[in-house]
Amino acid sequence: MKGVPILEGRYSNILDMFPVECKEFNRIYTFYNNLKEGRFTTTKCKGCGKVSYPPRVICPECYSEKLEWIDLPTRGKVVTIAEKWRGIPICFTPPLIDAWIEFPDGSPVKHVLSRLINCEVGQVKEGDEVQLAVFDVPSHPMDKGKESIMVDRVFFAFEPVK
Amino acid sequence: MSKVNACVIAGGQCKFGVREASYIDMVQEASKACLDDLPDLKPRDIDGLLFASTYVGRNSCQVNPAPVVAERVGLKPTSICTRVDVLCAGGSSGILLAQGLVQSGMAEVVMVLGSEKLYTPERWQIQYGEIAASDHDWDAPQGIGPPPLWFAMQAKDHMKHYGTTREQLAAVSVANYKYGFNNPKGHFQNELTIEEVIEAKEIAAPLGLFDCCPLTDGAAAIIIASEERAKDLSGRPLVYLRGGAQVSLHSVTANWPGKHLGDWPHMKLAAEKAFERAKLSPEDIDVAQVHDCFSISQIIELEELGFCKKGEGGPFMASGQTNLDGKIPVNTDGGLLSCGHPLGATGIRQGIEVVKQLQGRAANQVKGARFGLTHNLSGVNVEHTIVTYGREPKK
Repeated sequence: MKGVPILEGRYSNILDMFPVECKEFNRIYTFYNNLKEGRFTTTKCKGCGKVSYPPRVICPECYSEKLEWIDLPTRGKVVTIAEKWRGIPICFTPPLIDAWIEFPDGSPVKHVLSRLINCEVGQVKEGDEVQLAVFDVPSHPMDKGKESIMVDRVFFAFEPVK
Repeated sequence: MSKVNACVIAGGQCKFGVREASYIDMVQEASKACLDDLPDLKPRDIDGLLFASTYVGRNSCQVNPAPVVAERVGLKPTSICTRVDVLCAGGSSGILLAQGLVQSGMAEVVMVLGSEKLYTPERWQIQYGEIAASDHDWDAPQGIGPPPLWFAMQAKDHMKHYGTTREQLAAVSVANYKYGFNNPKGHFQNELTIEEVIEAKEIAAPLGLFDCCPLTDGAAAIIIASEERAKDLSGRPLVYLRGGAQVSLHSVTANWPGKHLGDWPHMKLAAEKAFERAKLSPEDIDVAQVHDCFSISQIIELEELGFCKKGEGGPFMASGQTNLDGKIPVNTDGGLLSCGHPLGATGIRQGIEVVKQLQGRAANQVKGARFGLTHNLSGVNVEHTIVTYGREPKK
């Protein structure tokens, strides 16, 4: 036996790189629910019109709590791309490819930094179009009253336009 | 009430490197080195402790470490005893806070102590733990946290927009390793050639092994005192804390404030604010310690600090302007690239070097240095911290 015997089979969220997304824990769970439907969304203030990314529970401009969900583009253009082979956290398999992606004119969010998946090193070039790719993330238990429920999760990256 | 000036009177660090020692062991080594620097100073003279550390909570399972540290180093703080966590700028943040506490009259003699134990028993935890250094819910799942990928992109954009070359990046590592050669407390004591830097194994192109600062364990301590107490305790030339700034304009990478990734307006703003508060300009600075976490960082920082024009950081480095006989000697003890980067200890290590320079007792002495500056960026370039030092107080 090694390490901490009490952790045997237990979930430790302090070692989880992905968010705890469920509504029992997180007030912006709508973002993840929308993501499950292939939608990339964020919040817009109904008062002053400010669009914020990432989504909020208050408007950082006017502090209104009256926010609505809006859709963001799911396609963008690669501005800069980099790959890393060494020093990759154990949760990723090398090469880790990340890109600085620009959304089309008119998008309230101009850029996003994202992993590129479903592609080889060298396949995606600067200027190429990429699209949102939603993938499953390991589920985790969540105490709810006296019960424990399993929470299914997703997250996003981008991939080459097929 | 008359204005109180804050001075730095002593400083010391433990050996930086891959240490067979815990954070709390290194804290004791650093505090001893610090008090050995000024033998008349005793633990009982110190009324405040600011402890800078980021990974102590995660890697050493210790939250609220300040009382733990105070006890081990023989302090009984009565003005302040708290932890400061600003990742790479924890030490500098502690120095800025100590300056404020001393100038306000709340504290008289404060130890700012930084320690970081980055080498966990199993090394996989180091990179995994670094994921926590970025905005957790948005950037960590994209693999950003360990910073090389993000800085590789910043290098690529700087090359694209300003024509910066691979050789110019390598010139940063060569210059800083050269300074670090005679610093026995740094992580490395070897010189490099441009070819060695370029041919080293790739981390994230265009950055290779020697373009990236290493992972390092270490601790450093510095003492900030009121001018009155400084005169009582120290016979050395006084070094005054002038003005500083800490700027944060975003956290999630998507909200990057620049026109492109080689443009760092948050750092430019921090420099403007710090110079304004210090009543200094870039031309006044005789020696600077800037945050060379990557070779590209130093090139961009020289630009944003106003030591050269925007876009000319590459040629500025390659023409030797940061050498002792150049326009502005930079990272004169080896910087992060050669000394290593035990996050919370780094700003203190930089402060100690500037103080030694201004007191005329540095290993790589800049002749007649009167004003110095330190700079840190934090995390994935989300915050910039600048501290200025002078042989005379701000008028």
